[in-house]
Amino acid sequence: MTPALSISHLRKTYRSGTVAVEDISLTIPEGEFFGFLGPNGAGKSTTIHCITGVAEPTSGKIEIFGIDAVKNYREARRLVGLCPQEFNVDPFANARQIVDWMGGYFGMKASQRKERTDYLMERFDLIPHQKKQFRELSGGLKRRVVLARALVNDPKLIILDEPTAGVDVELRRVLWRYLTEINRDGRTILLTSHYLEEVERLCRHIAIVSKGRVVREGTKDEIAGSTGGLENAYLIATGAEPDHVAGQ
Amino acid sequence: MWRGNEMNQAMGINWIGLYTMVRREASRMARIPVQAFIAPWISALLFIFIFGSVVGGRISQIGGHRYLEFVLPGVLMLNIVNAAFIQASTAIYFSRFIKFVEELLVAPLSYVEMILGSLSVVVLRATVTGIGILLMGIGFGATHIESWPMFLFWIVSVSTVFGLLGLIVGLWSKSFEQLNMPVVFLLTPLSMVGGVFNTIEMLPAKLQWLAYANPFFYFINGIRGAMIGFDEAPQGLGIGLTLGLLVVLGVTAWRLYAKGYGLRE
Repeated sequence: MTPALSISHLRKTYRSGTVAVEDISLTIPEGEFFGFLGPNGAGKSTTIHCITGVAEPTSGKIEIFGIDAVKNYREARRLVGLCPQEFNVDPFANARQIVDWMGGYFGMKASQRKERTDYLMERFDLIPHQKKQFRELSGGLKRRVVLARALVNDPKLIILDEPTAGVDVELRRVLWRYLTEINRDGRTILLTSHYLEEVERLCRHIAIVSKGRVVREGTKDEIAGSTGGLENAYLIATGAEPDHVAGQ
Repeated sequence: MWRGNEMNQAMGINWIGLYTMVRREASRMARIPVQAFIAPWISALLFIFIFGSVVGGRISQIGGHRYLEFVLPGVLMLNIVNAAFIQASTAIYFSRFIKFVEELLVAPLSYVEMILGSLSVVVLRATVTGIGILLMGIGFGATHIESWPMFLFWIVSVSTVFGLLGLIVGLWSKSFEQLNMPVVFLLTPLSMVGGVFNTIEMLPAKLQWLAYANPFFYFINGIRGAMIGFDEAPQGLGIGLTLGLLVVLGVTAWRLYAKGYGLRE
């Protein structure tokens, strides 16, 4: 079966000379809920940018459901939805426009966009705020809009780069429920998060990256079970000291 | 319910995506009507007043035309050039600055579609600006149209040329200061000495070659020919130059988009 995402020896060097991704290889089967962990600057966001077209890979190969994400970027991008870490949104556009325009870029007809936008506005409790400009919204509401935008084309592969950073518990739980539901429906999800509790609750498979390389990969049980919990496994893999060692 | 994976769109032109780019930019333009349309129209109105009532009466006719009739096509062209350049350069720069250009980068849009989407709005803004000035001119009895097809050709082609230039500058700029440099050091000086206010004959003989070497002269000469039937150089020369610039700037813009210059990390 063709994997949802296949990354082979990805390397990304910025024009400044900084090597953000040294050598990353990953395979994510269709239907997986995949946690992509690592400290700040480990290369997670750069890898995501290379997958989605925001950054140009220096070398290596990325395939989305078997389609080359660089050579056949248009076909590949139809299958992906990205919720970025930063709010890359026109601050003067309103919440509904932001979601609707994204659907338009993906070639969705007006009736399809309306149906899908209505659904997402309701699902993320955005109806009272849908006519407000993005800049007028609170941090949590902004996050909901960006999430709705990522899901408007009902992508087969959903990439969430720290989607719950700075949001309240309520939205976090709404999002968890929704992600579990669409994953059960067959959607593949790649999630990065600094909340290990979130990753432990949602993901079945985990990769830990450090200094631009995958330093640990396996099922959640394999990783968490071997070292007495995901947090310890994460700290050991990234070269930091686990609590029980640091406390000695 | 919409299912993205059921989308069965041929990988030809993403017309809906293109149209969405136009809708989005039109919405941005609608947020700034004073800057986009009212300012150039007021500026043209002042030109009509100054050159029609204040200065025009003291200047003899040029080629059988009143001075205001002679000047107005040039004023119209200046405003088209400004509208096109500012629309293209600010739109792409602002989207890079705020980073919402990433919405286009992650979408299934080709580079040609991204450029065409931007240019469509450029032409729309320039045409509305130009038609507004034309209507004012006609209203004050200061102009007419000799050839509608040529008038539209000059509006569309020149706005596209400066739209492409605006896109390139918008991709290159790293600050608002840089964004304004071409307007200050290139567009304004060249347009002012491009024959808006004078014929080539009025220039000292030794400086006349400067006008012939200035592309703005051919743009102004072209639209003046289309509006009042007065020209000082063969129209074919201006058409050839404009088409040549379209090709050169079009290929340059496409190459920059394809390389991700100023767009991708």
